[in-house]
Amino acid sequence: MASLHDQMAATGKVKPSKDLSQGVERLKEEHKKVVKDCRSQIEHWKKVENDYESLQDRLRTLPDKLSYDIMVPFGPLAFMPGKLVHTNELTVLLGDNWFAKCSAKQADALVEHRKKHVNNTLDDLQKVMKNFQNRADFTDDLEKLTGDTGDFADIREEVINEEVVTKGKHRLAHKPNSKPKQEYLLKLEEEKEKNESEEERATGVLSEEELWARLDELERQEELQDKRYRLDSTDTNGEDTTSSSEEEKEADGGSDVQVNGHQKENGWVPSSITSQMNGTNGSHPEDDEEEEDCDEEAGNGLPTIYFSHTAEFKKVRINTGKNTTLKFSERKEQKVQAKRKKQSGKSNGHSPHESYKIKSPADIYRVFVDLVNGEPIPRKSILKSRSRENSVCSDTSESSTADFEERRAAFGRSWSHDDATHSDTSDGITEEESPTGTSPRTNGRFEAFTGTVIEKDPLPCSIPHLTIAPPALPTIPERKLEEVGPEAPQEPPKRMSKFKATRLHQK
Amino acid sequence: MAEAIHKKLQSELEKYQQLQKDVSKSMSSRQKLEAQLTENKIVKEELALLDYQNTVYKLIGPVLVKQDLDEAKATVSKRLEYINGEIQRYETLLKEMERKSEQHREVLSSMQQEYQRAQGQAVGKA
Repeated sequence: MASLHDQMAATGKVKPSKDLSQGVERLKEEHKKVVKDCRSQIEHWKKVENDYESLQDRLRTLPDKLSYDIMVPFGPLAFMPGKLVHTNELTVLLGDNWFAKCSAKQADALVEHRKKHVNNTLDDLQKVMKNFQNRADFTDDLEKLTGDTGDFADIREEVINEEVVTKGKHRLAHKPNSKPKQEYLLKLEEEKEKNESEEERATGVLSEEELWARLDELERQEELQDKRYRLDSTDTNGEDTTSSSEEEKEADGGSDVQVNGHQKENGWVPSSITSQMNGTNGSHPEDDEEEEDCDEEAGNGLPTIYFSHTAEFKKVRINTGKNTTLKFSERKEQKVQAKRKKQSGKSNGHSPHESYKIKSPADIYRVFVDLVNGEPIPRKSILKSRSRENSVCSDTSESSTADFEERRAAFGRSWSHDDATHSDTSDGITEEESPTGTSPRTNGRFEAFTGTVIEKDPLPCSIPHLTIAPPALPTIPERKLEEVGPEAPQEPPKRMSKFKATRLHQK
Repeated sequence: MAEAIHKKLQSELEKYQQLQKDVSKSMSSRQKLEAQLTENKIVKEELALLDYQNTVYKLIGPVLVKQDLDEAKATVSKRLEYINGEIQRYETLLKEMERKSEQHREVLSSMQQEYQRAQGQAVGKA
């Protein structure tokens, strides 16, 4: 068996690519041979087992009578009538030319013991057969895969902004005296230069005032994020694995995962992943429902799906940690929207439906604002809505599955949109965007990190300040932010952050 | 020149083939030993199921010779050990032969290359 295996492995490896089909055929043949062998052996052993069974039956009935009248075989061609006596005395072959005289019952026990052996062999053979059957199937699949038949597709993701990806992963929560790595700051600069979105943004250093404002906003974001983490950590839905995998994916998407706590396993695109298909459907691997009319150019012999990330808020499923998961339901949103339109002037009302563009998870925070005295104030946590009905999230404790399916269908539909139809998808998602309130977050660019980032200066800039008596937070004056928020001055008035306090104090 | 190489190649090839045959022989005898091993294991277990009242016989030629149960057990155990030892021996032997055949294979391939080159040269010259 080992030699056969080696042989097969050798045949599999030796063939060059152009003889691929031949090699595959050969491999399959070998597999099938093994499987056939196994089958015949299994049959043989099954027969043996049956024989033993009938033998046992005979043994049980044999001692019933003292003697039996039988036809005794007399040579190869004749029988003659005779008697079977000493019905309980049996001479049993134990193997290897050893015999033993036993009673019928003892012989029965021996047969039982042998049957056990046979069963073990049978099991082993079955396993081997299954194994090789799987191998044969796998080679089939492999052939299909390379041969372009079947529904396999290559999923490719062109990562343009590598730095964004890495930054998203490596960013730490802010520690007052920690210094971010120099290269990240430099990459920041690069990233600023590589602007893809059409919205306005500041390139270069902002004025200090703007910096401070930006800082406050980031700090607030971070607090929200902390809250989210705390809420998430209390969740015991067993969705942790998915969330962690989602987190990775989302980090890849250049934005953090904080917005949506957990996602359902089968194929929800987390809001922050915000993938966008350019002309092809994103075949999200788990989501089978999504159409895969993805036969793009067969450049590499396989249909390729190009997968790219943009910051677009799709749908979110948020877990509040109390056995309910809030779902960001389109339908509910629309209902809510309609209701809200009827109502007016509620303090918690969201601003009416606008065509907003959410390009990063931070944009989501813009949505969840409370209208206090007519001014949009960003909420501390989007999970804590003052009035449930006004929130855009719906409770999963209500009928969720139907919703889910529908959403998935809608989702699948929305995936087939092209780049140009970006707005379509965002229309489909009934979100609101607070007009100006938290617009600093809507840079329209990738925001790798929605929390507050405290960055220390690159070395040269900080040198002149080494002589200054260290303030409470020594690097605040020279802080450079990752995302420059041009809209920083538009931030609504809010509570005093400790940074602000320090800063003011310093001034 | 090419002829000499050719002859050398042939001899090497023969040696290699011989080695391969030896390997396969050892393999088959080892398999036989394996079968005997399993059989003797079963006999030992079944002897354990018997008691002193059952008489044990050994088939020697056409004769069934009475044996003592304990004696039989001892004999079977000794045989088992013997078989195990044999298997070990064959294992080492097999490994040795594998190694040697590997060496031969390499030699063969290098000789083949030489031969090819020589052939090419001969053709070039002629």
